Amino acid sequence: MFALSYICNALVVTACAKEKDSAFVTVRIYPVFDGMQLILDTENYTNEHGNLLTISLFRFYITHLKLHVTGTSDYVTPEGSHLIDAQDTTTCSFSFSVPLGTFDSVSFVTGVDSADNTSGANSGDLDPAKGMYWAWNSGYIMAKLEGNSAVCKTIHKAFEFHIGGYMPPYNAMRQVNLPLGETITIENGKRSTININADAARWFAHGLDLSVTNSVLIPGRAACEIADNYSGMFSISGSTP
Amino acid sequence: MRKNHIKCSLIVLMCIAAVAGGSAFDENLKEVNFVIPKGWPKPVYNLNRNKPTTSGFMLGRKLFFDPMLSRDGSTSCASCHTQFSGFTHVDHNVSHGINGLKGTRNALVLFNLAWNKSFMWDGGVNNLEVQPLGPITSPVEMNNTLENIIKYLDTSINYKTRFYKTYGDSSVTGQRILKALAQFTCMFESYNSKYDKVMRKEQGVEFTTQELNGYKLFRKNCESCHKEPLFTDYSFKNIGLPVDSAYFDIGRMKITGDSGDSLKFKVPTLRNIEVSYPYMHDGRFRSLKQVLNHYSSGTVLSATVAKEMKDGMFFTENEKTDIIAFLLTLSDKEFLLDLRFRNYRD
Repeated sequence: MFALSYICNALVVTACAKEKDSAFVTVRIYPVFDGMQLILDTENYTNEHGNLLTISLFRFYITHLKLHVTGTSDYVTPEGSHLIDAQDTTTCSFSFSVPLGTFDSVSFVTGVDSADNTSGANSGDLDPAKGMYWAWNSGYIMAKLEGNSAVCKTIHKAFEFHIGGYMPPYNAMRQVNLPLGETITIENGKRSTININADAARWFAHGLDLSVTNSVLIPGRAACEIADNYSGMFSISGSTP
Repeated sequence: MRKNHIKCSLIVLMCIAAVAGGSAFDENLKEVNFVIPKGWPKPVYNLNRNKPTTSGFMLGRKLFFDPMLSRDGSTSCASCHTQFSGFTHVDHNVSHGINGLKGTRNALVLFNLAWNKSFMWDGGVNNLEVQPLGPITSPVEMNNTLENIIKYLDTSINYKTRFYKTYGDSSVTGQRILKALAQFTCMFESYNSKYDKVMRKEQGVEFTTQELNGYKLFRKNCESCHKEPLFTDYSFKNIGLPVDSAYFDIGRMKITGDSGDSLKFKVPTLRNIEVSYPYMHDGRFRSLKQVLNHYSSGTVLSATVAKEMKDGMFFTENEKTDIIAFLLTLSDKEFLLDLRFRNYRD
């Protein structure tokens, strides 16, 4: 009985969606390092400063996704918070329906807003069981990058960046705006894809030296500097209009 | 007549059956009903987002008493938060978790939590629902993760049934675990002490002369931080305690990074203070007399010390005795012995 009503609901929803004239957009995130596909653990990379390193974990939140409609206002997508995890490709893409129109840029926030940081236990990708929540100083870890480098004088030569903090002056949320380069015209029933590279190399921008900075695990100035760095890691790698 | 008699017997039998069934103590849960006592401020915790229900309360209660939530199955929330002491770890200056490892701070009492603006001695936790993450993940307390706890709960038909009853389906998530714990702990409400009954002008309840004198002294000297009716203003204060070099605990500054918050700790409630000894963030004082001795003559005037300490306060021995007599009127036996908060192993 429950199953039946569920199917009926699904049919009704589909029918409504068709009536409203909409189409689907998929956003696909590609974790990369210096533009090349990111390979965790085994591939050696060199950062801007010259440190040789490997990456073992790369995760970040994308929230408040909007599409900018040419000549008018933003279309705020119905998407909630997405935790992108480089080791799980199923987390790297998501689809949603959009009204018909012509879009020329996409914008989102890396991080989690202060409302979600203070509202208690959340669900889905914001569930504290995802391991992106600080226990002793409440708030979300908005992005994590972990790996190893011989220059780190730490246990297992590990570096760990857990970036977050929602209270001023050390709010680590960053707004990202990406022009699509070409406009996407959404036509009825069509599926479009926006491909976005997330380049882990940008975490090490401005000459970050792992022998000096290799452990940022609390909110503060150092966390905000790294958030500034990685807010520039996104670029459009193509879209299929 | 006979029919009626049979009917009555049947009802009685059904009641017995219900009581003897899976939820043996449901009758104590007639009122999973959060109360805002008359004259109290609006709670800080948003109960509309997580309204306590009987099944949610009972799930939270089972989780609270379950030592399997710790990595080695030794330590539950209740290990360090026992009801008879106002849900603190009575007679322990700091608490011990798994493998006998010790923490660095005195366990706080748990009641009237819906009014807390923040949690922990340093206010590092911002919402009742996420508070359990601290002890669950601390290497010296339960040393576990929500992911592990979800795996454990997923193997238990008892728990799965409770999740189903509470949330409409049996899936176990971090959010659901935390919300159930909050449904249980937000129901720890203490508002029936002698003090409350005097304030409510209940018939036959009056302060003794000594208690009344203590109350006057309290109003004059303590009220600015230990604000009625909750007996705290939830602020953070440095009350001039000499720094313990073994812990070197900087308090609130650990959270804010602001040197102006150095050595500041949350102003704790004074309700049920009689049973929640020892006192202070590191449990350094074993008696209320020692606490009053500190205020009267033992304060260290460091840079961030509270204004009240700078101004100084002095109590005679008689005044100390009177203040303590008043503080004992804040004990709430109805709360401390409330059957709803017992461990039923159900």
